[in-house]
Amino acid sequence: MPKDLNDHICDETRFASVFSKHAKDLHDFLYYKFGDHFNPKDKVQEAFVKLWENCAKVKPSKAKSYLFTIGNNLMLNEAAHQKVVLRYQQMGHKSHTNENPEYLMEEAQYNEKLQNAIANLSDAQRTAFLLNRIEGKKHREIAELLDISTKAVEKRIYGALKKLREEIEGI
Amino acid sequence: MNYEAMNRETLIKKWLDNELSAKELEAFKQLEDYEQLIKLSDRVQQFKAPAYDVDEALKTIMPKIAPKPKQTSIMKQLLRIAAIVVLGFSIFYYTTTLDTTLSTDVAQKTSIALPDASTVIMNAKSELTYNKHNWNKQRDISLIGEAYFKVTKGSSFNVKTSLGTVTVLGTQFKVKQRPDLFEVICYEGSVKVTHQGQDSILKPGDSFLILDGKLITKEKETAPNPSWLNDKSYFKSMPLSYVLNEFERQYNLNFNAQNIDDNQIYTGSFTHKDIDLALKSITLPLNLNYSIKNNTVVLSRE
Repeated sequence: MPKDLNDHICDETRFASVFSKHAKDLHDFLYYKFGDHFNPKDKVQEAFVKLWENCAKVKPSKAKSYLFTIGNNLMLNEAAHQKVVLRYQQMGHKSHTNENPEYLMEEAQYNEKLQNAIANLSDAQRTAFLLNRIEGKKHREIAELLDISTKAVEKRIYGALKKLREEIEGI
Repeated sequence: MNYEAMNRETLIKKWLDNELSAKELEAFKQLEDYEQLIKLSDRVQQFKAPAYDVDEALKTIMPKIAPKPKQTSIMKQLLRIAAIVVLGFSIFYYTTTLDTTLSTDVAQKTSIALPDASTVIMNAKSELTYNKHNWNKQRDISLIGEAYFKVTKGSSFNVKTSLGTVTVLGTQFKVKQRPDLFEVICYEGSVKVTHQGQDSILKPGDSFLILDGKLITKEKETAPNPSWLNDKSYFKSMPLSYVLNEFERQYNLNFNAQNIDDNQIYTGSFTHKDIDLALKSITLPLNLNYSIKNNTVVLSRE
């Protein structure tokens, strides 16, 4: 890790670089963990504004943990006890457009089950699993983001996969 | 858990972390639930988070943070406090060292005790300025108008006027300053008058008079103090215009002297207490008549 030459982020250029580095990860983390009810984009902005306000106290090396903690807390304030719902992104599976209606119905059912199953995962499992599957992040990267061990990440993701399959396929 | 199961789990975990070797990938594909795994992984993609435009978000946030850089603001805060302290001190210093100005109005006389127990009696329409704070070091006083000083002994005492400076050590004297008249009369002790770079020493009874820029020699003053202290203005061989001017200072009125010669010389006095008596004591000796209309005294020949 490069040594912090300046122990703060109270500089607009430095702040902007921290923003570019962490904003998307923070957004994705908040989205997968809490769904889009509580506007993860706004929470990202709020978290960064808080970081700026405390820029003298937060070392650049600690900025990521700080942002994730603040973002998480901001969400928890609002999202407590709310069920997580992730929206379908209409991705337009072109290969399926000519499928027969039965197939399409099955697909729709599958997707619905999947949506419920994802919602039923624990926050920890869902976040790790979706960051891995959707954002293509390696276990090591997720471990870094969440400040947990790679082993724990692996456990969460594998656990999530197992649970999803149990719910969808009734295994 | 048998070896098969362990192997299966390891393969799936490696697949999840994108760590499968070519050989392992083959083995993974042979798993009975390979299709389901791929399908699940594929369908999960639909729940992708909405695109997050970092640049756009950055553009939105920069204006919010710009006005508040904390680190420098600690310095700014200190500077602000320092500025307030300095300002406070300056105001304190300024107000405490500010010159004291006293003035009298028409027909008003005031007696003032200076910080060192010297006293000044100001005649009507006069103004005095001095610095209380600095008084012990420097007894300087500026005068516009006329005043009588009783100075206690001490360092030199300077009365500054637009026409000259009077310096004394401890004495009684009066200074009279008018636009084109400068008069100093010494009643006790000695007084040094500086006028246009020239010093004159006055002994008790001596007077110094500059009229229209000319030095006028006068007889010895015999009165123990200025006549106006007894509510009288006393003149010796003074042009009438000056007398009328002094009169206007004591009574709130104006003279109309258009029909007479106001350069004629007058010697005498007028009281400050009775306007009729005062007017008579000026007009009778000069054979003049007077009438009062709307605060204006019109003078005419008999």
